[in-house]
Amino acid sequence: MALPHEIVLKNKEVNQVDLSAVSGDLGILADHVPTIEQLKPGVIDIMADSGAEKYFVSGGFAIMNPNSVLNINAIEAFKLEDIDAQAVASNLAESQRLASNAKDEITKEAAAIEVELYEALQSALSAKSK
Amino acid sequence: MFARSAITTRTAVPALNAVGQTRNMATLKEIQNRLKSVTNISKITASMKMIASTKTTRAQRAMNVARQYGQVSNDFVKQSEVKKAENAKEILITASSDKGLCGGIHSSLSRYSRRYLNEHPDTPLVVIGDKGKVQLQRVYPQNIAYSFNQIGSTIPTFDESSGISSVILSDKAIEFDNAKLVYNQFVSAIAFETSEIENFPISQIVEAPNFKAYEVQEEVLENLNEFLFANTMHWALVEGHAAEMAAKRTAMENATKNAGDMIQRLTLQYNRGRQTVITNELIEIITGASAL
Repeated sequence: MALPHEIVLKNKEVNQVDLSAVSGDLGILADHVPTIEQLKPGVIDIMADSGAEKYFVSGGFAIMNPNSVLNINAIEAFKLEDIDAQAVASNLAESQRLASNAKDEITKEAAAIEVELYEALQSALSAKSK
Repeated sequence: MFARSAITTRTAVPALNAVGQTRNMATLKEIQNRLKSVTNISKITASMKMIASTKTTRAQRAMNVARQYGQVSNDFVKQSEVKKAENAKEILITASSDKGLCGGIHSSLSRYSRRYLNEHPDTPLVVIGDKGKVQLQRVYPQNIAYSFNQIGSTIPTFDESSGISSVILSDKAIEFDNAKLVYNQFVSAIAFETSEIENFPISQIVEAPNFKAYEVQEEVLENLNEFLFANTMHWALVEGHAAEMAAKRTAMENATKNAGDMIQRLTLQYNRGRQTVITNELIEIITGASAL
């Protein structure tokens, strides 16, 4: 799993990876059919023999190759523990306000993307605490 | 007769000595000035070398990450075994920067680009960085579609790379299939090599022999195209930046060494000059004293 500024995971043997893709949520096991999926802002759950790790990614692509290597390119990824719920709530309110007050298309689109991100963050955090 | 000859010699020699002395004095002042200025320059180049070394270590770390990021992104392209289409329209993107004093970085990039443009004169050109732009503008001004600056003084961020790629992609006036990114590959701390990364468009990747294995939805293909382009751009920019910092360090190290050599030479010259003046004065005094 690679980010432009950090390689989060490299050559890790895993059993299953759950992704949140634009086409829907899916779980990828070894020898999964090669696919290319665009990722929504959401949680990637990586299950290995050593335990499960959850990362929240801002978006990117996950590509399953025929040689059973899953490549994930994301822009930002953080462990759920590192995310501040308060900041998420206040930023969500801010972006919702921006989205409703936006004058032109571009600002509206950008604000809508932010809203989607923060809503996904919130649901991820609440799912974790459940 | 003896006294007369002594007087004549006495007047002659001091006159010569006076001229010799003034000449030596002027030379001494000159040498002193040169020494001062070279010492200042060597201090500047030494500090620039320090700065470049710290920037190099940081840039190298970022480069290792960006390289892997770009390679991961291009992994499926390689596995699909894409071949370049016959009449693929190409665009050349030269990743240089704004700052100089880095050895042969920019000239090497422009030489590579010029060689390519010689063979393919119709290729649109995008130049990143003022130094590269200035060099390429002289020879191929009509090819330059876009130029970017303010890149390269710090480690390029993904924001910048994706910004540049989206500008290029969204301009409908520039049509291209393949993109060749010309950049400086970081070979080692003292060596770099100008090379290129080939970025294939998704339309060609889809035709590739092994791509049939991949299941993918139509809607994401265009996004994938842009993402791939931005990732490759990011790799080229960050690695180019690391190569530049390393070259800058080497250039400043050489400059400091040369300045040091010059200082040594000048100091020797100065000391010899000073000693000559003193010796001449002594001779004068002694001759004068012995004539009395």
